[in-house]
Amino acid sequence: MSERRPVWSLRGVTKRFPGVVANDRVSLDLFPGEIHGLMGENGCGKSTLIKTLSGAHQPDAGEILREGRPVVLTDPIAAREAGVSTVFQEFSLVPTLSVAENIHLGRLPRRGRRVDWAAMRARAAALLAEMGLDIDPDRTVASLSVAEQQMVEIAKALGAEASLLILDEPTTALGLDEIARLHGLIRRLKARGTAILYISHRLDEVVDLVDVVTVLKEGRVVSTAAESEVDIGYIVRAMVGDVGDHYPKQRNAGAEVVLTVEGLSTRDRLSGVSFEVRRGEVFGLGGVLGSGRTEVARALFGVDPRSGGRIVWRGREVAFRSPKQAIAAGFAYVPENRKFDGLFFNFAGFPNITASRLDRLGPPYAMSLAAEREAGRGLVRDLDISPAAETREVGKLSGGNQQKIVIARWLFAGADLFILDEPTQGIDISAKIAVYRLVNRITAEGKSVILISSDHDELIAMSDRIGIMSHGRLVRVGEAGELGKIDFVRASAGAGPAAREALPT
Amino acid sequence: MSVLKDIAGPLAAMVAVALAVALTTSNFLTPGNLSNLALQVSIVAIVAIGSTVVIFTGGIDLSPGSAIALMTMVFAVAIKSLALPLALAIVVVLLLGLLLGAVNGVLTAYLRIPSFITTLAALSAFRGLAFMFNNGSPIFQLSPDLEALFYGRLGGVPLPLFYVVALYAAAFYWLRWTASGRAVYAVGGNPSAARLSGIDVRRIQFLAFLVAGVAAALGAVLMAARLNSGSPNYGVGLELSAIAAAVIGGASLAGGRGNILNTAIGAMTIVIVQNGLNLNAVPTSFQNVITGAIIVLAVGIDMWRAELARLLGGLAGRPRPGSSPPRSPRQGT
Repeated sequence: MSERRPVWSLRGVTKRFPGVVANDRVSLDLFPGEIHGLMGENGCGKSTLIKTLSGAHQPDAGEILREGRPVVLTDPIAAREAGVSTVFQEFSLVPTLSVAENIHLGRLPRRGRRVDWAAMRARAAALLAEMGLDIDPDRTVASLSVAEQQMVEIAKALGAEASLLILDEPTTALGLDEIARLHGLIRRLKARGTAILYISHRLDEVVDLVDVVTVLKEGRVVSTAAESEVDIGYIVRAMVGDVGDHYPKQRNAGAEVVLTVEGLSTRDRLSGVSFEVRRGEVFGLGGVLGSGRTEVARALFGVDPRSGGRIVWRGREVAFRSPKQAIAAGFAYVPENRKFDGLFFNFAGFPNITASRLDRLGPPYAMSLAAEREAGRGLVRDLDISPAAETREVGKLSGGNQQKIVIARWLFAGADLFILDEPTQGIDISAKIAVYRLVNRITAEGKSVILISSDHDELIAMSDRIGIMSHGRLVRVGEAGELGKIDFVRASAGAGPAAREALPT
Repeated sequence: MSVLKDIAGPLAAMVAVALAVALTTSNFLTPGNLSNLALQVSIVAIVAIGSTVVIFTGGIDLSPGSAIALMTMVFAVAIKSLALPLALAIVVVLLLGLLLGAVNGVLTAYLRIPSFITTLAALSAFRGLAFMFNNGSPIFQLSPDLEALFYGRLGGVPLPLFYVVALYAAAFYWLRWTASGRAVYAVGGNPSAARLSGIDVRRIQFLAFLVAGVAAALGAVLMAARLNSGSPNYGVGLELSAIAAAVIGGASLAGGRGNILNTAIGAMTIVIVQNGLNLNAVPTSFQNVITGAIIVLAVGIDMWRAELARLLGGLAGRPRPGSSPPRSPRQGT
């Protein structure tokens, strides 16, 4: 340890904003060839710290050292030139341009006054090859899978010689396969001697990947890299204190079958999916991204047309041709991407909650806004949503509050079957636990849940039974307790390596 | 409460403009000028209800000016050539408005052509159709009863003011207290989320164009009444005035945000400015430049709200500009 020298260090970095100390005397050391996990709940100061390191904020006190010497990163460009590359959660790629153009965006190689296209392509190809990526530099970014885009984003960040790579939640949109590929890339960069600062809410993958962990809470380091254990239980306790069980699973499944799906098929994605869901049961749907999990949800909910199969709901065959009909029958769908498909960012919390059942607010030509307020306040209180939801547009609320609002919409609707597609993606641990408690509450009322998740620990812990999807088929169904992670990998790989190529991008 | 908060900004701007005009001219606040203002604003304000509703759903309607030209011609032919009674002719125009709106609506909502394109095509096509009547010449002297619709008064107040108030009250009620009105905002805010919430997105987009068609038809009847004639040259540029009224009133062209009452205020603001410039004998060409500047300014003030607030706060000794809030929206996810 003693002969190693950190390439980047923070010493007592403090950053204040009106009313808050976002970073309070934070110190950490980043060593070449080491993956350093930075953990903490939303609002703990992670983002501020990243912004300070990437030159977007100036610390009020403390200093940043590069190879032991203090440096001032006046702005993001200066930080980049000093060797700090940051990949933010939101992609900064231009979808209509090629991979090579994106990698060189803002610093296109030139010959005279013209862009040197040949040099640009060659450099991009060399960079991609060096990173071990098999991506054609001439492809447009829009044609790449999300995972590939993420890797191009990293290639772009590394285009400048970087001694430190900061990754802010790089796996939020990725499936298990793709996460594995990304981790492979990060490990290669590590072997090359790059220091890596890695931020994620997915504890399982952090534990797999990182060498050391620093935990922040309320702006302070509560567990330094030296004392932290790279262990889920340890990290959770450091982040949020003792929360009891991380997965507070209640078993409420009854014997009565409420939903029977037989041979569900869609024209291009699903073939012959059959399963049953019981009263009060959580039926988990696993499988890699693109395996057809979301398509099952969409077909059940009447979004995508079915080409075959039957759906029996509470003893009656149903054939929804629109979400409206599914909602009327008591189905609820919390979509995978709450930003694109879930929330109305032009509304505050209450209209978001009532959107799917405005008919519950009185006759359609005379809605009662007082009834809306009453119902909204009740659910906000009940689900422990921030009271700001009453007046502020939902875009100004945290991800956890946003997700609770989408779920509240279906509690308001009085739904009986909740299809939850990645309900805990991108929200912090306390909010995840709150969502798990909601799942318990729903099933305790005798309602049923179909839980779709890429987080296998979560799926195994929170489901009663699980079906694993692969290439549009349900390849295995079992009791949650009997399935391990290895079963997912096996079931997903079951269709053979050739089929991987057929995965949609 | 929230309604007052919604309209406070545009209302303050309108009052400021009115004050400026009242101070620079002697006859702005005379009853004659004010009722003249009411007449001037009525047509664009009514047409703008439709434009605004379409904007709320996330679309745009470029066609009402041309639609009005076509409808005044059909109105004129119905009265003069077909000898229909006035009331029946008005019904015909309203039905035609529904039909024209339905054309835009079907193309946009069901055939998925962007509304900018469909209504741009309609802008051209409706005017072309208008010229096919009466060899492209205006038709005068439609009906002796017609002018009363526009110039009539009730208790000294011009009738068009009553139409404007009644129609805005109806539109306001619809958008605030009905399920389909709420759906208009939902569709404009996030069509995908609206669909997954059981809202028939296409039906709502279609409905918005029907409303726009009827609003244009009412505008056409008033336009014909104003000069007791129909003409294929009526309504040139009216679609842009209507959109300007919506935008000055704070409607977001991205859809989902805005208050219909502010469109009336926006229309009033434009007309007051034009009136002030007229009273100060500013040439028309320059008036158009100023109208353009006002549109930019109105939207600009909205866009720069955060910066302006910081600037004002900075003057009062609050946190310096450039310091960002402690929790960025990104952090919240």
